[in-house]
Amino acid sequence: MNFPVQRSDVGEFRRRFRWMVVAILVGFTAVFVRLVQLQIFQGDQHRATARENIVFQNTLATTRGVIRDTTGKVLAANRPSYNVYGVPAKIDLEKVWPRAVQYMRLGEKEAAALRDRIVSIRSKSSRLATQQILLVADVDRDVLGVLATNADELVGIEAVPSPVRYYPYGSLGAHTIGHMREIDGEMLTRLLSRGYKAGDRLGATGVERRWESYLKGQRGWKKALKGVAKEKNLDELEARYLEEPRSLEPVPGRDISLTVDIELVKAMEQAMRGQLAGAVVVVDVRTGRILGALSKPGFDPNVLSGGVGKDQLRDAFRRLYSDPLNPMLDKTISATYPPGSTYKPFSALAALQDGTIRPADQADCHGGLEYGRRYFRCTGVHRRVNLHQAIVQSCNTYFYQLGAGINIDRLAQIGMDFGFGVRTGIGVNPEARGRMPTRSWYTHHYKGQFLGGWTLLAAIGQGATTVTVLQLALSYAALANGGTLYQPQLVRSIETSDGTVVQEFPPRVRRVVELDQSDLKIVKDGMSGVIMENEGTGYKYRIDGIDMAGKTGTAQVDRVTGRGVDPKKVWYFNRDHAWFAGYAPAQSPEIAIVVLVEHGGGGGKNAVPVAMRVVQTWNELKQKRLAQKGAPGDAKRGQVQ
Amino acid sequence: MRGKDASFRGGPLIDMPLFLAIVAIATCGLVNLYSATSAYVGSGTHGKLADIYVSQIYWIVVGVLLGVITTVIDYRIFERWATILYWGGVFSLGLVWVLGSDIRGASRWIQIGSFTFQPSEFMKVALVLMIARYIHNDPQTEPRTWIDLAPALVFGLVPAAAVMAQPDLGTATILMVTALSMIAMTKIRRRSVLNVLGAAAVGIPSFWYFRTSILHGYQLRRLESFIDPEADKTGAAWHALQAQTAIGNGGLTGEGFMQGTQNQFGRLPDQFSDFPFAVFAEDWGLLGCLVLICLYAFVCIWAVHIASQARDRFGAAVAIGVGAIFFWHTLFNLGMAVGIFPVVGITLPLFSYGGSSVVTTLISLGFLMNVSMRR
Repeated sequence: MNFPVQRSDVGEFRRRFRWMVVAILVGFTAVFVRLVQLQIFQGDQHRATARENIVFQNTLATTRGVIRDTTGKVLAANRPSYNVYGVPAKIDLEKVWPRAVQYMRLGEKEAAALRDRIVSIRSKSSRLATQQILLVADVDRDVLGVLATNADELVGIEAVPSPVRYYPYGSLGAHTIGHMREIDGEMLTRLLSRGYKAGDRLGATGVERRWESYLKGQRGWKKALKGVAKEKNLDELEARYLEEPRSLEPVPGRDISLTVDIELVKAMEQAMRGQLAGAVVVVDVRTGRILGALSKPGFDPNVLSGGVGKDQLRDAFRRLYSDPLNPMLDKTISATYPPGSTYKPFSALAALQDGTIRPADQADCHGGLEYGRRYFRCTGVHRRVNLHQAIVQSCNTYFYQLGAGINIDRLAQIGMDFGFGVRTGIGVNPEARGRMPTRSWYTHHYKGQFLGGWTLLAAIGQGATTVTVLQLALSYAALANGGTLYQPQLVRSIETSDGTVVQEFPPRVRRVVELDQSDLKIVKDGMSGVIMENEGTGYKYRIDGIDMAGKTGTAQVDRVTGRGVDPKKVWYFNRDHAWFAGYAPAQSPEIAIVVLVEHGGGGGKNAVPVAMRVVQTWNELKQKRLAQKGAPGDAKRGQVQ
Repeated sequence: MRGKDASFRGGPLIDMPLFLAIVAIATCGLVNLYSATSAYVGSGTHGKLADIYVSQIYWIVVGVLLGVITTVIDYRIFERWATILYWGGVFSLGLVWVLGSDIRGASRWIQIGSFTFQPSEFMKVALVLMIARYIHNDPQTEPRTWIDLAPALVFGLVPAAAVMAQPDLGTATILMVTALSMIAMTKIRRRSVLNVLGAAAVGIPSFWYFRTSILHGYQLRRLESFIDPEADKTGAAWHALQAQTAIGNGGLTGEGFMQGTQNQFGRLPDQFSDFPFAVFAEDWGLLGCLVLICLYAFVCIWAVHIASQARDRFGAAVAIGVGAIFFWHTLFNLGMAVGIFPVVGITLPLFSYGGSSVVTTLISLGFLMNVSMRR
């Protein structure tokens, strides 16, 4: 072939070539400058990102601390439980999924819903699809076994241990111990910095909540490489890419020993079997330690603390919150009641101290007292009674007269000296304050006028006066020990998981009430008479051999109309509260006990037998423990060291 | 002085610098491909990908054979074939519509038996020949207007539009910038150039305004994520950010061959197709990159040099066209890896895995060699 020579024509391009070379150099220089920026100036930053990209931290689980009673019996522990997780990107929906559904024993509906979720996660984002999602919570042992045997074929599905709180005594002491709940979104944002994660459970009520920060423990972590192919030498890679420290050991939560004796609580529960609702508290008068507290009706914290599935949990809560007897309410601390006649010893002390009455002074009881334009009723016709008899027989007329001669502020003041109207500071569960009405309180709430009759009502613990069961127990403990008001104490000590005591809590005195011991003796003699004398309001219901003193109470309640309550049950809610507040033994008191039977009727008939039986058990326990190890309060942990 | 005839009197003289540069780049590319896919060794699902460097070798062999053919046959013969090749290419682009197999939502491939090929790749070479032919046959002494150059622009626009419809924004861009680069060889009236700049000042903003109707969803996302990479760290921008992390991780001297963690731990997407340079930069660092960039720049500049030495207008235009394909591919790919261009699927010549790409590159370099040997 022949081609004509066309060299001359190339001239048109000559001037352009130089510019093309310039353009080429500019282009590559731009790339190079950017490379310098990326690799030199931002090099460290990119290297750090690259390292983050291949390293991730595995969380190492910790265990929650155990709660024990004063004798070392376990009240709250952890039980192994397994959740099944799946990685949506890895699950083969055709082959693996149907088998997994079968192994996990899922219902058709559940399985379909989960399948939809997997499909939707997959379609949304390929990166999200590589993260685990919860398939089933708390599978039972059989399912776990089947999953473990078939682990090889179930690619992308994994059973992960996730311990659940376990309360061996069920509803016994449940209000005190508390229960757990799953952390919700709002809480999580608040608590994220404290190491909580989605799906965590934390204490919802009681000791579980108050001592959460001690119980929860601290998670650990361990760095690992992601995306390492199987054949690579993992140790060598880890040595190269994982910086020290490569792991942090988890710290188990602290164990907590309570002052509560669960056997005593059991006795309380048994003693209250005949009653629908109420509360019992036993306090050590020498320390203020709470030896037992019961609020009835109760709940099973095992059901509320998770590990039963969402539906069951929701049902349980619905049932508990719709119950008119308020099972979730801690009636020893969170609710207030008019103390009724159990307040009379304090009225008597105030009047004796002020000298407005003398012990020998008598009142003539004809079944009531006319004061102003109102007639104040007594529980019966007591004839002529002195202070001792008035306490023994619970004569209102005597105390109306006492009230007529005293300022209402004085009655409130002695109440507050004994810790009424103020939170005790137990710290567990929301605490009610109760109320010691003063003149200013009445004028504030009743449009400026004050009626003298209100003082009469205050003297017998009615009217606007309200107290909590715990306040009453502590104040009776103060009466019993000669006037020392203690800080209530629920936690004896904090221990590490291996049993070393980290912190022990000694009793704390709140206040020593200034009392004339002879005045106190008169009142206490009266309270012994309540049980021991023929006319005593509790005499009929005593158990022989049980040495106890105290005061019964029958507190009138605000009348309930049919509204809001089942009409068939109105009679119940209009019945008086039955009280007994006392201490034992009568002569050298060790414990104070308060029994409240909500809408139980008469205090002597309904509350005293409960108190009797509880004190009886306490005596037995004391004897038994004396024979074994020592006094109940000082018993060592039941665990073998 | 050579004779008047194109047949070699003193025997064919191979362009040694060009040859060595190509060998160097191809060797680096192959070694790098081995590193890029080594992470797949032993991983069940992607295990096969660890062996793609072997097929890359096959493709290089095929490419070299075809490149030798395009080197040996006098390039002026191709001037005569240019029209047929060009329209044949356009026709095969049309065929893609009918026969195209769908890969990642785009029909770019034609399958013949078990063999798939990508007409748009070969179209680039055909386009260069076609425009070179037009420039060759249209010598002018006066500065040109756009009307004079309109046929050349149309030659570029037709396949670009067809490729754009596949949709393949990257190849369409390459076709257009290649056409424009070749047009830029000619002497254009100063006013015409200013007109174009004015039109661009209006056109680019209005393109941005109508971008939703012009571009496909994923193209749009890539473009927008390029403008604002922080806005979407999980989607399209993810690839670019991972590539930049890998490059930055390389530092001055690199992590070492097959040691780049971004690549070895599977953090680098498309590491053997779109981002082989990120693998290279992570393994060899800035110093390695400097060598590689110099090699690429040398080939591009050498193409201009060959053009300036060419014996006729057609040869010069072909050299510039081939150089332009090579240059723009390299610049766009490196630019997107380092994050100064948006992510468009443009291959890095002799580095990216892919038969059509390798073969086309070697064929076109064959033309360059051809022109160089017949000046």
